[in-house]
Amino acid sequence: MSQIQSRGEPFLYQGDTGTGVLLIHGWTSAPQDMVDLGKHLAGQGHSVLGVRLPGHATRPADLNRIRWRDWMATVEDGYSLLDSTCENVVVMGLSLGGALALLLAASRPVAGVVAMATPYEVPPRPDILWLRYLLPALRPISAILRTFPKPPINDYKDQQAYRDHVSYSVFPVRSITEVVKLLQLLREQLPLLRVPVLLMHAVEDRGVSPENARSIYSQVGSDEKELIWIENSGHTITLEPARRQVYELAANFIEQVREKTR
Amino acid sequence: MSTIMTGGEPFFYPAGGEVGCLLSHGFTGAPEEMRSMGEYLATQGITTLGVRLFGHATQPADMNRARKQDWLASVEDGYHMLANQVSKIVMVGLSTGGALSMIMARDFPVSGVAVMSTPPRFPDERVRQLRPLVPLISKVWRFAAQNGESDWRDKEAEQANVHYPVFPVRATAELNDLLDEMRDTLDQVTVPALLIYSKGDGTIPPDSGQAMYDGLGSTDKELLWLTESGHNIPMDASRQQAFEATSTFIHRIAA
Repeated sequence: MSQIQSRGEPFLYQGDTGTGVLLIHGWTSAPQDMVDLGKHLAGQGHSVLGVRLPGHATRPADLNRIRWRDWMATVEDGYSLLDSTCENVVVMGLSLGGALALLLAASRPVAGVVAMATPYEVPPRPDILWLRYLLPALRPISAILRTFPKPPINDYKDQQAYRDHVSYSVFPVRSITEVVKLLQLLREQLPLLRVPVLLMHAVEDRGVSPENARSIYSQVGSDEKELIWIENSGHTITLEPARRQVYELAANFIEQVREKTR
Repeated sequence: MSTIMTGGEPFFYPAGGEVGCLLSHGFTGAPEEMRSMGEYLATQGITTLGVRLFGHATQPADMNRARKQDWLASVEDGYHMLANQVSKIVMVGLSTGGALSMIMARDFPVSGVAVMSTPPRFPDERVRQLRPLVPLISKVWRFAAQNGESDWRDKEAEQANVHYPVFPVRATAELNDLLDEMRDTLDQVTVPALLIYSKGDGTIPPDSGQAMYDGLGSTDKELLWLTESGHNIPMDASRQQAFEATSTFIHRIAA
């Protein structure tokens, strides 16, 4: 019996350009978020590692036991695995993975960060502002209400990508407080960042509103920072019709970063 | 700001061949325990990947949140990463890492399994008898001292060993269950197996090696006894002998 669900597995592709790319998926989601982006970048000759965050792609109850430290540790693992065979490491993440990617830049000498559809705070969109008032009570609530059915928000432009998406069908309630803590840490660290940062966000993202990208952009301390708006996509920009554009932008960013380190 | 302690990082040594080896460290230990072995095997043409088990090499409190499925998932992660590189995978593990390797050998299409110092049941009888109470006890008694006499032969290696200074109590219940599951399904492991045990192991009962050998479903199985080592075989004085025996085993079954 396997612990990890089918298509929830991490992936590692070996390249020969000397650049390693660490890919981090989103909350309640799986490495599958990033696998096509990974294949595209591996096709350019880079080494690519897509990690599975602890508590993900197994059972939703597992995620309730996981703290933000465990996610961070797994991202650090991924960095070490790439760093041992590559000259430089670029880190990329989607949604919560984007927050982890930015935070990794605060503790490891990464060459650059691509943060996609990344939240700046919880709640990440105006229609659930009421969640703000619930946050202090979330831990006691989570003792009784362990998981919560995902609201039927489907902002996908590509409905096949929506059907194929590997993710939990519920929100583990206790885990929300870990996302809150992680984003708090992110807001503290953003002004200290000095590495090149590329932000991508869908104009029509209904999971994490575009306002989050504006806030991150204004707070990032790096001189080299760019925010690119993605059309024809919902929240999961790596899987949507705009994905080819996203892959190209990610690949171009790597080339820019490599130029600099040369 | 780092979550993982220095020396707690996992490792990956690609060797370019078709054979890979996944190395899993022991309870409260770190990938560092397996690193020298991983380096050695890589020089022998075997691609090696050493995982960090969930809750390890960060802070002891993290380990009390770990369940056995988290450790298995850590090893599965490594398996999938390695499977992208090579066509044949041999599982290698120390102690708890050996138990995880055995369960992987039961559930995944691996070419073989080599374990070091793996006990067939939890060594401390109190944990076995009080198992149902451990979750409750661990609410107030979170960490047990790692006392007892050192069984290391190589004192310098002992100093270099990266591990927690305590036993996280809640985690002992998970290890107990993991070892039970492994032992009860050991006959379902049928791939070639190498078992390496120390005469001087002060951590597990002396009949562990024989019990594991007898329980295994494999027909191709070998039990190797070391004389100049304690429990931590891949770091202690007989490590070179263990490295070479493991390399010979892997080349024989997977080359």
